[in-house]
Amino acid sequence: MTNTEDCPVLAIENYSLDYETANGPYHALKTINLAIKRGEILGLVGESGSGKTSLAWSIMRYLPTNAREPGGKILLCGDNLLEKSERQMETFRGRRISMVFQDPSTSLNPTLSLGTQLSEVLVRHRGLTRQQAWKEGEALLAHVGLKTPAQMMHRMPHEASGGEKQRVVIASAFACNPQCIIFDEPTTALDVITSRQILDLFVELQAETGVASLYISHDLALVARTASRVAVIRRGGIVEQGSVREIFINPQQAYTRELIAAVPDPAHRLVKDDVVATDEPLVKVENVSVYFGRKPFFAALTGRKMDRVTGNNAINLVVNASEILGIVGESGSGKSTLAKAMTGLNRFEGRIWFDGREICSSSDMDNAYRKDVQIIFQHPDASLNPRQKISEILSRPLKLFGNATDLDKQIGDMLEQVRLPRTHANRYPHQLSGGEKQRVAIARAFASRPKLVICDEITSALDVSVQASVVELLLELQKASGTAYLFITHDLNLIRQIAHRIAVMYRGDLIEVVKADEIDNPDRADYTRRLIEAVPRAAAQYQ
Amino acid sequence: MIVYTLFVVSLIVFAITQILPADAAVMMLGENATKEALDALRQTMGLDAPVWQQYATWLWHVLQGNLGTSLRTGQPVGPAMFEALGRSLLLAVFSIGLMLILAVPLGIIAAIRRGKVADIVVSLVSYAGVALPEFVTATIAVLIFADWMKWLPPTGYVPLTENFVDGIVHLVLPVCVISIILIAHVSRMVRSELVDVLHTDYIRAARLKGISSGQVLRRHALRNALLPTITIVALDVGYLLGGVIVVEEIFAIPGIGRQLIVAIQARDLPAIQAGVLIMAATYSIVNFIADILYAWLDKRIQYD
Repeated sequence: MTNTEDCPVLAIENYSLDYETANGPYHALKTINLAIKRGEILGLVGESGSGKTSLAWSIMRYLPTNAREPGGKILLCGDNLLEKSERQMETFRGRRISMVFQDPSTSLNPTLSLGTQLSEVLVRHRGLTRQQAWKEGEALLAHVGLKTPAQMMHRMPHEASGGEKQRVVIASAFACNPQCIIFDEPTTALDVITSRQILDLFVELQAETGVASLYISHDLALVARTASRVAVIRRGGIVEQGSVREIFINPQQAYTRELIAAVPDPAHRLVKDDVVATDEPLVKVENVSVYFGRKPFFAALTGRKMDRVTGNNAINLVVNASEILGIVGESGSGKSTLAKAMTGLNRFEGRIWFDGREICSSSDMDNAYRKDVQIIFQHPDASLNPRQKISEILSRPLKLFGNATDLDKQIGDMLEQVRLPRTHANRYPHQLSGGEKQRVAIARAFASRPKLVICDEITSALDVSVQASVVELLLELQKASGTAYLFITHDLNLIRQIAHRIAVMYRGDLIEVVKADEIDNPDRADYTRRLIEAVPRAAAQYQ
Repeated sequence: MIVYTLFVVSLIVFAITQILPADAAVMMLGENATKEALDALRQTMGLDAPVWQQYATWLWHVLQGNLGTSLRTGQPVGPAMFEALGRSLLLAVFSIGLMLILAVPLGIIAAIRRGKVADIVVSLVSYAGVALPEFVTATIAVLIFADWMKWLPPTGYVPLTENFVDGIVHLVLPVCVISIILIAHVSRMVRSELVDVLHTDYIRAARLKGISSGQVLRRHALRNALLPTITIVALDVGYLLGGVIVVEEIFAIPGIGRQLIVAIQARDLPAIQAGVLIMAATYSIVNFIADILYAWLDKRIQYD
């Protein structure tokens, strides 16, 4: 391909995209101007619905049938992709421009081996035979840091971990030395430590090949670490673009400043360390273990031995009144399992002391316990009944635990408490935004005036700015009511801001419980240190 | 699991035949038989023993391959029933074959041309196929192809071993009638599964790797979309064995469904027991094979 050093590999000029909907055209992208040079990483940052993924589909020419393009050009080394036929694009995709997707567990075909899926790109674009492609695939897998490439080729997707799968996806994106690669949130679905490794791999491969990269993310801190330039997108338009330094030190637009401010900064603590540890804590978790797996009927009959999966392994934990205890750990570490055990959703062995009462199993959790211990889940979409109005949803805990008199007024007050207008009571969940729905879930949890609220990843489905406001709300409620929180998250930066103490979990075990401001202390456990190192530093480094 | 299922089925079958308001002895000797004659017969048949003992004897005989003697003909039930099963299976195999040849491509076309004319036509035809009961389609088919056109014989069964061509000719109409319902069923299934699969991330990922749409369909989509179809086809075998009774009746094919009806009408208890047990066994075995096939094609599934 003939392009000089200065000419951008990918240039988007005055590009607009509309979706035709029943309510008239929806302007998904508005006169976008972007350019990526060889060897450059352009970070595209925006919240959900901002159009960042639409832009990726436009570049790949993979648009739904209701997409209309009123104008503009997308140039790949001078070739306007808008003028290419589908057949021509098929030869471009994977060879000249390729893509790495968000979730490796859904972007790989579950019924084809990893090797088949990798080598088909080589067969298609490099004209290799299957045997050659398989050999080349092994070399590629070795190149992306997989220890046993030959075996990995034969594995099915479900036999590989998320990180390994993402390495395979990356290998197939780099397989034909494309001119440009689009990375669509490639680490969002991965653990902290794995995503750090994937990111390092990306930076290494990118430097080695000099491929022009468009790195799409909602995470400013992450982009700050990888990209050379950043473009901020909002409601389909580029708000601001410039070098990472410029954007972080001297953001020109109010929206950019908001975004930067919303990124959690562990150095900026939002709570005072004023919790007194007493001899009588609110909750004392004693040797709580959770095992999964039930003996199948026949195994029970024949007395066959069965391996149980350990969800939690003899956890000991204390939560004081009015304390915010953070629980961190990668997925599968048993964070949510513990939360479910404490709310009676999982069977457990061991004991839980709550407010001086002994709880040995979920049958000991009576109405009084449930009133005092409430849980908020990650996805408000899943935890709010779509067929009930907000007023019905909020009236349940009032009828169950409180006094059911003057429900309308109480519900209105609850909504106001979580900064929602009283009129929302007549709406259905789907009429609210993600942040609003989570506020309703918070209001529901607080309706019974609980002593402990378990927050299970409640902000991870939300945008950064929405997350910031939800966290602010939670802290206000905590100040007003003195409720203790068990705050489960994988966002270390966030939890360092808001927790008094942090419990670190790994594969069902509790590694340690430390004070939040001492978690980066060098004499922490190995795993804690690795976690802290893996987390992208916040934007603060540029300020 | 399959043994367990069959055990439960045998219990239920035996229980139902016990509950039936008919006394086998009275049935055989007629309303006017003397008490002594009835008692004597009951004794020879073992009907005076306690129920659990009768069941144990019956089960013991079944396990030895002896399904009992017909009260109607006095012949052993087993051979007659298996012979009938063979004819039904022949019909079933041809029907499923024809169905697969037509239904899968129809479903694929409908899924790919979703919302277009082809899809609508396939949908309409399938709805019509599902909506029309087999006795209607069978009657219409006989009327058109046998009565008016005189292309095919209206009814009857000729064993393939006796006269192959004639046997096939006699099978054409019943096979087509059964297939229509199956095609409707399965093509809709293939369509909806394929539509779902075509919207998955991995299909998009494959397209964005530059794989052509035909290749994506063949290598990536079909395999995943056809997996649930295996289950549906296996379940349809249940329909074939039961629902096919009507078709067998109309076309006068002495299959297992027809045998069973005759047995029920004659209150021929051993024949009913044997027929139902054989049908249940066939059904369980087919579904068992489908499960194995499924696990073999989708490596994520593992059975203990």
